[in-house]
Parts: sequence; structure tokens; C-alpha cells
Amino acid sequence: MKKFVNDPLNFVPEMLKGIALANPDTLRYVPEYNLIMRADAPSPDKVSIIQGSGSGHEPAHVMVVGKGMLDGACPGDVFAAPPMEYVLETAKLLASDKGVLLLVNNYTGDKMAFEMAAELAEAEGLNVRTLFINDDVAVKDSTWTVGRRGVAGNFFVMKAVGAAAEAGASLEELVRIGEKVNSVTRTMGIALTPCTPPAKGSPLFELADDEMEVGVGIHGEPGRRRAKLVSADEIVDELLGAVVPDLPYSSGDSVALMINGLGGTPISELYLLYGLAHEKLAAQGITVGRSYVGEYCTSLDMAGASLTLVQLDDEITELLLAPAEIANRVF
Amino acid sequence: MSDARVESVVRTITEGCIENEKYFGDLDSVVGDGDFGFSLARGFEKVLEQWDSFDRSDTGTFLQKVAVVMSGRIGGTSGPIWGTAFLRAAGQVKGKQEIAGDDVVAMLRAAIEGIKARGGADLGEKTLLDALAPMTETIERELAAGSAPADIAKAAAVSARDAAEATRPMQARRGRASYTGERSIGSLDPGAVAVAVLAERVADSW
Repeated sequence: MKKFVNDPLNFVPEMLKGIALANPDTLRYVPEYNLIMRADAPSPDKVSIIQGSGSGHEPAHVMVVGKGMLDGACPGDVFAAPPMEYVLETAKLLASDKGVLLLVNNYTGDKMAFEMAAELAEAEGLNVRTLFINDDVAVKDSTWTVGRRGVAGNFFVMKAVGAAAEAGASLEELVRIGEKVNSVTRTMGIALTPCTPPAKGSPLFELADDEMEVGVGIHGEPGRRRAKLVSADEIVDELLGAVVPDLPYSSGDSVALMINGLGGTPISELYLLYGLAHEKLAAQGITVGRSYVGEYCTSLDMAGASLTLVQLDDEITELLLAPAEIANRVF
Repeated sequence: MSDARVESVVRTITEGCIENEKYFGDLDSVVGDGDFGFSLARGFEKVLEQWDSFDRSDTGTFLQKVAVVMSGRIGGTSGPIWGTAFLRAAGQVKGKQEIAGDDVVAMLRAAIEGIKARGGADLGEKTLLDALAPMTETIERELAAGSAPADIAKAAAVSARDAAEATRPMQARRGRASYTGERSIGSLDPGAVAVAVLAERVADSW
């Protein structure tokens, strides 16, 4: 796999430098802690919102820092949780009188790093709350695992709490909103190809030309099963078949529908999937109130897509409608 | 000032983790991902680098600084797990300068609870807790019996070693090793062995 890369160890810092140089008025890059933050943050009148995770999921989360979204993102290396100290220092740099909200996708490494950073930040007098996102229906929860993973549905949590924070909501209010959005959001993904981390230089796993991985995680972790590649129609049936009954979403519901590209699938295919999903939902009496098509949370160059549904009510709809200004805006 | 004996124990743990990098890593590669020795060594190397500059106004502060430096920059789960253990131990002796025997038990108990909370683990799941908890009980028993500190350290080391050996038939329920399920049966838990190795070094250096 060919890549635009110098030293693979500098892949993340070089990307972050590019993001900051492209957005000199709005973003600041703090190389010491791999931190991308709003140039105007922190504000004493607003809760600071921070998301962290491994890199390789762009635009999540470093490219969704901006007004109405995140105040800061502290990524780790590709597919690796950020070191605890980065999270702690990011929280301290963005400390606000109204508090700090840490958003974390539910993975073991991220969870531990963020929980420990939050404990230390509290010991230093910061008002910190941590919110875990776990929208992936592919993982069967069990006593022995950390539980469902956080995947593309994290966009909706970031968008909702970002809008509410901009409007002056308290930290407690943001936790309530974030938990509510997370509780009505479900996602499932399918991979058509593996992805190639820059430092590894070769595909992370093997997937034959005529196979797909159903329920794939955003690092290429195995999903529910490996199957022969089928038509787009059947793939959408499989995704909806997993997502719709899980909440469940039912006739009369209004939903946000997201078709998220995993990094290596053209937008044409994403719209094709969107059209199919939209009509199939309508046939079940489920109305699409908000639509999202594109790359929101990727897995490097993996070909594939995920489907996310959010059950809408007036409060969530209003928060999703509120304007946001981020580097990754699409015209 | 921080307690000199606590500092000496932390120093022994620090050197033990650095010197045993390969041994701990080999133990971990049986069923884990082999990064345990590496992660601990890199974390404690930072502690050694900054040893002279730690804030030593009291023992709790000293241990908290160790926790942050040790776990601050290492990835994986070892950093947060071991860092939390030091952090919770630190919380028990905040503002204290001299450390007594019952403080030690309180620190170890707090560390055990911290590890349980951070890792979502419990006893019998083939983790370092399976060595740490029996060792703590031994220390408590020896203290109650009025044993001398050096003898308590020796008894603690023996107890930790026995407990580490007892992880062999256990099935891993947490961490990377848990993905291997029954294949983890028959191998020692690297974290529990590390506790035994470090307890033995502490006893030897008393």
C-alpha cells in the first residue's frame, strides 16, 4: 500500500501541524501534548469539551474542533489511546470555571487513560466529567469485555453537547444530553478491505477479494462474522437488520440516518447506500429527519461503511440543527 | 519530607521493573501481547530520570508524583493500572511524613481497590491482584503478630511468590490475555509474577 508519509513515527504530528497551518485563525496546535484546540478556548462562560482517541479516524476528532463542536482533541498515535499525561494536560489547558467534559469512545485503553486523567484533574481542583460513547451494535456485551465500542455515532454526541455548550449549558446538563443521545444511537459497519497503518506498512488483517467483514470495528477488529460479498441491497438489509431492532427503532419514529465512509470508499457508493437505507426505513414507517453522508469516523484507508441511526426528539433535532464551524466543513 | 523507607521501596520497584524488562515481556508473550515488560520499563525509566526532582514535601505527594510520571506517557493498560495503584496509595498518606505499619496496609488496600476499579477486575481473574491481595493479608497478619519489619517483608515476599505460582491454573478474564480464553490456563500471570519479583527484591534490600 502506497502512502504519503515521511518517518511513520511522525505521521500524527505532521498531520496535526498541517491542520493547524491550514486554520491559523481558528485552531492552535500544542506539539508537546499532540493537542489541537480552539484558538479562542477556554472560555470562562462555556464548558470545555474534549475528545480523545487513537489517530487514524479522521476527521474524528482532531478535525471537528471548532465553534459548536469540540474545544480540543488529544489524539494518540495511530489506533493507540493517548497517553494519560496528554489527556491531563489537555484538560488543564482547557480548564473552564464551568467545567470540562471528556468524551471517550468505549475502548479499554482510552477508558483507562481518561479515567485516570480525570481523577488527577479533579485532585488538582478541576471540575471534570467523563462520558463514554458505545453505539456499536456489533459487539455482544459480556461480563468479560469492556462492552460495546464507540464508533461513528460519537459524531452525534459531540454535535449535541457542542451545541448545548455553546448555548451556555452547565456541565451536568451536558452529561444528561450526551447520555441521552448516546442511548438512542446505534451503529454497525461493514469492511470490504483491511486498512494499512503507516507504521506497519502492510494491511492490518487479511480479507479475500470476495469477502466482507460484517460488524467491523474502526480499527479493523473482527465483527460478527466474515461472509461472501453480496449486493449493496443485501448489505443495507443486513445493517438495518442489526441496527433497527437493537434499540428498537419503530414505525412512527423520526431518525437521523448517517452513512459513514470508513476511509477508502468513494462518496458515490456512500450515497448509493444512503438511498437504499432511506427507502427501506420509509417502508418500515421510519422517517429520516436528518441525513448525514460522508466520512465522519474512518479507519485509515479501509474500504467500507457504517450505518448509524439516532432516534430524534425536539431537543436532539434542535441541537443537531445548530450551526457549527469546523475545519472539516463541506461546501 | 517523605518517608525514607517508602522512597527506598519505590526505588527498588523502579529498578526491578527496568532490570526485568525482558523477563516480564517474555512472560506476557505467552498469552498476552508481549508489551508488559516494555511498558513498565519505559514508565519507570521516567521515574528514575526525574528521581531527584520529585516533590518530597510529604510521602503522599512523593507517591503522587511517581504515579503521574510513571503512567503519564506509556500506552496500553499497564500505565493506568500501575499508576492508579500508586495514586490511590498516595491518597492514603496525604500530608503524612512518617509511615507506620498500618499505613502500609491501608496503602496496599487502596491500591488493590484502585486496580479493581480501573481495570474492572476482581480476585481470581489471573491478574496482579491475585498476588497483591494475599501479600497484603500476610503483612496485616504479621503486623498484628508484632513481627519485625524485615521479617514482615520476607513473609510478604514468600506469600506473593506462592500466590503468583497459584495463578497457573487460572483462566484469564481481563486484559489482552482474556481473549485467549482457556489457552491462558497453564501459564503464570505476568502481573502477579512481577509483584512477587518486586516483593522479593524489597525483602532482600531491607
